[in-house]
Amino acid sequence: MSWLESLTLTSPSGFWNPLLWLAFLIIFAVIGYIIYSRGNRSYKPGTEQVKPFISGNAVDDVELIRVRASDIYWGLIEAMKGYYAVLMRMHTGDVRDYILWYLGVGAIILFILVGGV
Amino acid sequence: MGKLTNFKRSIWVFHASGGSCNACDIEIVAVLTPRYDVERFGIKLVGSPRHADVLLVTGAIPRDFADKLRRVYEQMPDPKAVVVVGNCGTSGGVFYDSYNIAGPIDEIIPVDVYVPGCPPRPEAIIDGVVKAWLKIEKLEKELEGKKE
Ligand code: SF4
Repeated sequence: MSWLESLTLTSPSGFWNPLLWLAFLIIFAVIGYIIYSRGNRSYKPGTEQVKPFISGNAVDDVELIRVRASDIYWGLIEAMKGYYAVLMRMHTGDVRDYILWYLGVGAIILFILVGGV
Repeated sequence: MGKLTNFKRSIWVFHASGGSCNACDIEIVAVLTPRYDVERFGIKLVGSPRHADVLLVTGAIPRDFADKLRRVYEQMPDPKAVVVVGNCGTSGGVFYDSYNIAGPIDEIIPVDVYVPGCPPRPEAIIDGVVKAWLKIEKLEKELEGKKE
């Protein structure tokens, strides 16, 4: 077995060779560089020219215009405010609280399973 | 008029309207309708200054709009040209010296072509864009000269 074959992984549906993969990466990098080098050289990095166009308004902080994951659930949380308000108060983010809850609920379940007093 | 020689693309135009009475804007729309149909010459209105070669500005530019206009101008790629359409943007027009006006436009951004009129005729607007085209050709040559 040659060293090239020893690097090749064959399977019933094809083969995989890291050197071939590297060669493809280099080819794509060269193609990418050719496309990049044909771009407009007159643009000025770091100026308004490279910023997104929001009808002429300034975009100072991307945080202000980003849709967060919590925004997606806003309607649901608003509709079930009573329920979530309690849950969110309990959700302290402190892992010791959660372990306490875990032990407490575990103890109650065990108590029920063994038949109580 | 000079000959169009070097600019290798069609010309794309972004229209910024700041405090105009809408009559100038309607004349710009007329330029696009079948009677004049400038798209057959490759003159096309685009939705973002990032794609535009020419900035077409109408209106006397209220103070609140001045920084937005400046930003729109800065967002355009080089080479670029600015065409002011109408008396409002050219001199202030009927709003001349008004307390809430930041214009005329050449006090906010550099202007290459003025198309006077209240409002100007579509033919005048087309002529203005073609003049801007010549200017862009000149700038393009300068940029290419810098590259070499
Ligand atoms: S120049 Fe005349 S037509 Fe144009 S926006 Fe001003 S007032 Fe209206």
